[in-house]
Parts: sequence; C-alpha cells; structure tokens
Amino acid sequence: MPSPEIRPRGGPLFVLVPKEWRDTLAGHTIWVLLLLLSALVGYSYTQAVSLYGEASKSAQQLPEVARSLSPLDGVFVPTFGALYLANTFLFPFIAIRTIASEKQTGSLKLLLQLPCSLSTVVAAKLFVLLAVWLIVAVPCLSAVALWSLSGGHVGWAEVANLFLGHLLYAAVVVGVALLAAALAESSATAAILTLAATLAFWVLDFAAAGEGGVLKNLSNLSLTTLLRGFEQGVFSSTAALGALIAGALLVSIAGIWVDLRITLARKLLTSSLAVVLAVGVAAGVAIHPLYVDTTQDARNSFALADAATLASLDKPLQVLVRLAPEDPRYIDFERKVLSKLRRSVRHIVVTPQSETRSGLFENSDSYGVVLYRYDGKQAESRSTGEGEVLPLIYGLAGIERKAVPDRDPYPGYPLQARTDLAQVWFYALLPLLIVAGWALAQRQPMVWPSPASQAITSRIRTRRPFHGG
Amino acid sequence: MLKVQNISRRFGPMFALADITFTARRGEILGLIGPNGAGKTTLLEILSGMLSADGGSVLWEGSLLPALRRKQVMFYLPEAVTPYPDRRAIDVLALFAQLFGQPDDRLAAAIEDLALSPILPTRVGALSKGYRRRLLLALGLLAPQPLIMIDEPFDGLDLKQTREVTGVLRRLCGADRTLLLSIHQLSDAERLCDRFVLVSGGSVRGEGNLEDLRARTGGGHVSLEEVFLALT
Repeated sequence: MPSPEIRPRGGPLFVLVPKEWRDTLAGHTIWVLLLLLSALVGYSYTQAVSLYGEASKSAQQLPEVARSLSPLDGVFVPTFGALYLANTFLFPFIAIRTIASEKQTGSLKLLLQLPCSLSTVVAAKLFVLLAVWLIVAVPCLSAVALWSLSGGHVGWAEVANLFLGHLLYAAVVVGVALLAAALAESSATAAILTLAATLAFWVLDFAAAGEGGVLKNLSNLSLTTLLRGFEQGVFSSTAALGALIAGALLVSIAGIWVDLRITLARKLLTSSLAVVLAVGVAAGVAIHPLYVDTTQDARNSFALADAATLASLDKPLQVLVRLAPEDPRYIDFERKVLSKLRRSVRHIVVTPQSETRSGLFENSDSYGVVLYRYDGKQAESRSTGEGEVLPLIYGLAGIERKAVPDRDPYPGYPLQARTDLAQVWFYALLPLLIVAGWALAQRQPMVWPSPASQAITSRIRTRRPFHGG
Repeated sequence: MLKVQNISRRFGPMFALADITFTARRGEILGLIGPNGAGKTTLLEILSGMLSADGGSVLWEGSLLPALRRKQVMFYLPEAVTPYPDRRAIDVLALFAQLFGQPDDRLAAAIEDLALSPILPTRVGALSKGYRRRLLLALGLLAPQPLIMIDEPFDGLDLKQTREVTGVLRRLCGADRTLLLSIHQLSDAERLCDRFVLVSGGSVRGEGNLEDLRARTGGGHVSLEEVFLALT
C-alpha cells in the first residue's frame, strides 16, 4: 500500500498548537470572560481587603485577635472565589467551543483526515486550554501582587496550594465540558450539560450536608469538596491525583466520542475500559495518601510532637462518635480533631452514630459520648478538644508523647491596606489591556505564515479575479 | 487500486445502501452518479471511515483497509463544510498546507488554479457558496493522498466556473492520483469522468465507461442522462 509522505514540517503539534491558540484568542468568549473576571476579582479583592482592614483595627490593641488574622482566609480565598465562578460558569464555554465549533462547521471531518492522530489534536487543544486558563488566572495573581505591594504578607506555599486547587478544579470542569461537547450536537446543549454536571455537585453537597454513609462518601468526591480542601490550606495527594485522573478520564472519553470513525459499540467498550482503568489507578493512589498542611498557622495539623506520636500508631484506631452530623459539637470535633486524626493516623475508622440529623431531640444518655478503641482496649469521652482526646489515645496505645520541638507561634498579619491602586488596576488599566489584546488578536493569522507564504499572499492579491464568487 | 465490496448501511428499517460493489482504477476520474438521496454521500462517508457500514469491505491494492487507516490513502471533501468560518481564507489554506507538509509553491499553485486570490483576506464564513466550494477544492489540491473523494464538486458553481474547475480536476488527476466524485448533474459528469458508477435507491445499477453503459442499454450514441434513465 503506498504511504504518501504527509508529515507536517516540525510535527503536527507545531502547527496545531499555534492554530488552536490563535483560534481561541480570535473568539470573543475569552475576552468577555477576562473583562467580567477583572471586575469580579476587583470587587472581591477590594471588599476582602476592606473587611480585613476593619478586623485589623482591633488587632492593634489585642495580640490575640492579630493571631487569628490570616491573609489566606481574609484576602486570598475570597478573591480567588471570583476565579471559582469563572471556572464554573464561564471557562467551560471556551473549552466547549474548541470542539463544538469544529463539529458544527464540519471542520472535524477534515481534522480527522489530517496526518496526525486524534490524540495529537486533543493534546493541542488541552495545551492551549491550559495556557488560556493561566491567562484567565492573571487577574487573581495580580491581586496577590497588589496585596504584596501594599505591604501585605503572602504565605507563598498556601497561595500556591490555593492556586493549584483552582487549577485542578478547572481541569475537571474542562474535562466535563469537552465530554459534553463531544456528546452534544450543539454548543448550547453542551453548555447545559456542563452546567448541569457542576450544579449536580452543589446539589450533592447540599443533600449530603449532615448525612453520613454513601451520600457523604459521594460528596467527598464532589468538585466543591475538592476545592474546599485546598482553600483550607491542605494539599492532599489523593485529591490532586484524583482530580488529574478524573480530568484525564473525561478528556479521553471525549476523544473517543468525538471520533466519527469509531462505532457506537466500540465507543461504549473503550469508554468502559477507560473508566475501569481510571478507577483502578485512583484506588491505587489512595492507598498511601500524602497530606501537607500549607497554612502558616498550621491550623490543619496537630503539634509536631503529637503528629509524630500519632504516626507511630501501627494498629487500627476506631472512633465511634455518638453525635448527630448537624450538631455543632460534631462539626467542631470534625474540624479540630477528626480531620487531623485522619491525616495523622495511618489506620483510622470514624463512625458517626445518631438517631437524628440535628441531635436536638436525642434523649439517650449516651448521646455526646465518643468511644475510642485501640488494640483491644477502649475508652470514652465527651470532649471534642484535642487537649483531652490525644492523651486518651496515647493512654490506650500505651505510648509516651514524643519530644519534638514545636513550630514558632503564628503571629498573625493584620493590615489596613488601601485599595485605590487596586481599583485603578481592576476597573481601568486591566480592562484597557484586555480590550487592546482583544483587538490585536482579531488581526492575527491562524498560523505563522512563512516569508514565502507572505510573498505568495502579496503576489496573488494583486491578480485579477477570473470570475465572481 | 480501490475495491469496494458489498457495502451496506441501514438507517432504522430503511436500507440506505445495499451491497454496493465497484472498483476505482489508478489515475482515473470515477463518477459516482445518482440523484439526490441515492446514497452517494453516505457511501463516501463510509469509504472515508466517517460512518460505519453494516456490512461489506474496502480493499486497497488487494488488502483490507480498516476505517482508521483510510486517511493514509484517501482524502474526503464533504459537501456541507465551512472550515473555520471566523478565519481568513489564506489562514485556512496555509494551515492545511502546513499540516500536509506542502511547500509554499504548492500552496500558491492551488490558490492560482482555483482563482482564490481575491478572497484570501476574506473570512471563510463571509464567502459566497461558489468561493467556499473552491476553497474546499483547494484543500483537495493540497492533500497528498492518492485517492481524493469529493462530494458534489460543482455545487454552487456557475457554468464557466464549472468548466474551469473541470480543467483543474483533470490536471489534478494523473498517474499517481485518482478522483472519486459524487455528482448529480449528469452533463457535468459526462464531460469530466472516465468511468461511472450509477447509483439509485442505494444500489449500483451500472458501472463502466460511457461505451460500456451504452452497450448495456442496447447501444446507440445516447447521452449519460439517457443511459442513466434506462438503467435505473
């Protein structure tokens, strides 16, 4: 069989990536998104800095108040909330456009016949979407720079972790959007499917609030739960790799379903195999989770000595909590003790037990008791503070608290910053730059023409048309 | 070179194609002739691998050619396609020239052959139907595969343009290039094609050059139109 030499110079990615890049920038969606995001981030940032400044006033007299002031909670998480909105409601449209427009115009039929694999075409789209997302993140990153310029403290590890959380969230949303675009006949249907999927996570979180069992486990897989962990300053290898696997799975299935040459039966079979493979890999990475508390006040960790002692527990620790999931004591216990125990103890099983969701009408005397079992011994307590719980666990395990020097106490970073510069940047300068970029992008060719191509263009422009169109 | 054997395709209870069998020889222009709805586009989509067949096989040089490998030897230009409507015609042409690894002089030749110079700076979406068709034909000129399949190459062209494009297609075809054209205008097909596959109601009613087909209808110097009517 003759095999013609149809390999593009430099490889297909060298042609497809610039093409996707210019095609995306030539569309209006990205620029509208940036304009909206500039205003959104500007509003979120100025509001957050203003509230943070008010809280900082009282911190001048009270050092205890100062210690509770963290720029992560006070400034960065609210500011990046604008990026969350953009990732959820606006960025999917850019992702959908990369596939849907080629399906609708019929360009896909031509693309499928190019001398490169469909995976190369999809890889080029993903690469460009990542680059575009980094542009979309610029307003948020500029807010971090503005905060730093105004004398604010930036904990780079916690900010980087927050940024990573939003990136991973976007990766999964992009996967959902690409799959929707591959399945749907039109962009509008794809957009509805994508929004339905992200809203379904909200509904799941709402339904699972205060619930245990399957619903709670399902909500742990939701996108909002994924992001919440990063917002709290916890880097979890399971969450990060899980999001990457989910994103890769969704994009792979999108690639399978967009290929017109594959039969329905084969699409179903290949997609099923991809799901099985992804679940297997995800289960594998969950076996040895890695947690890093990136916050400067180490709010998600026990003291270093306690963390080291708990990590040495080699038998399963069982915790039976006789509290209703919506009981404030349970919520407090979960935040201050249980979540930290889960990250510190290698083998731990926590079982909530209650008759009602709120606990308001619980009559049992044992309500409020927490039962701890370790190595055949058990103890109980009604305390929800680590000061009582940890010695009790050490007692059950028969171990001494290890002597490890602890971290320096968190000083807190109160600041009353001005927002004048931020308002000029977000409401005037940045929008002007975006509009200028928008205008410039409309003038760019789809590919980088070589000097010879430009010569062709100028030469043939001067020729007389031989017929009308 | 290309052998199509017993291709069948159903849409629900209706047979769109039933046991389609024909061959395409190296260097010829083969016309797939039939009225609208005869199944020509469905057949081309199946041959290009864009649509799966319920049965049958496609052979290239005697070897079975799976759907995913067809793009190595054939390039299909669908009828209703507007590639990258927001981009300029020159950008789209340059993109495909680069992807096909074609040198700049080949791109210039394709542009000149199809007289696309006046519309190079125009957005593809703003082109007239005729220019859009010629832009697609230019992509066909840039494609290096030995078999080019074009669905309705003359659709949207006036008489003079049709004659010009006929000349371009004739030059495109040669010892190393075969054209398979789906045409519903019998006069255009008769002027351009070396051989014909007559399709009606999803099945092949005749295959051969005009003399062969005339012989099947009883001889006489009749037009392709009359032959088609006699055989279908």
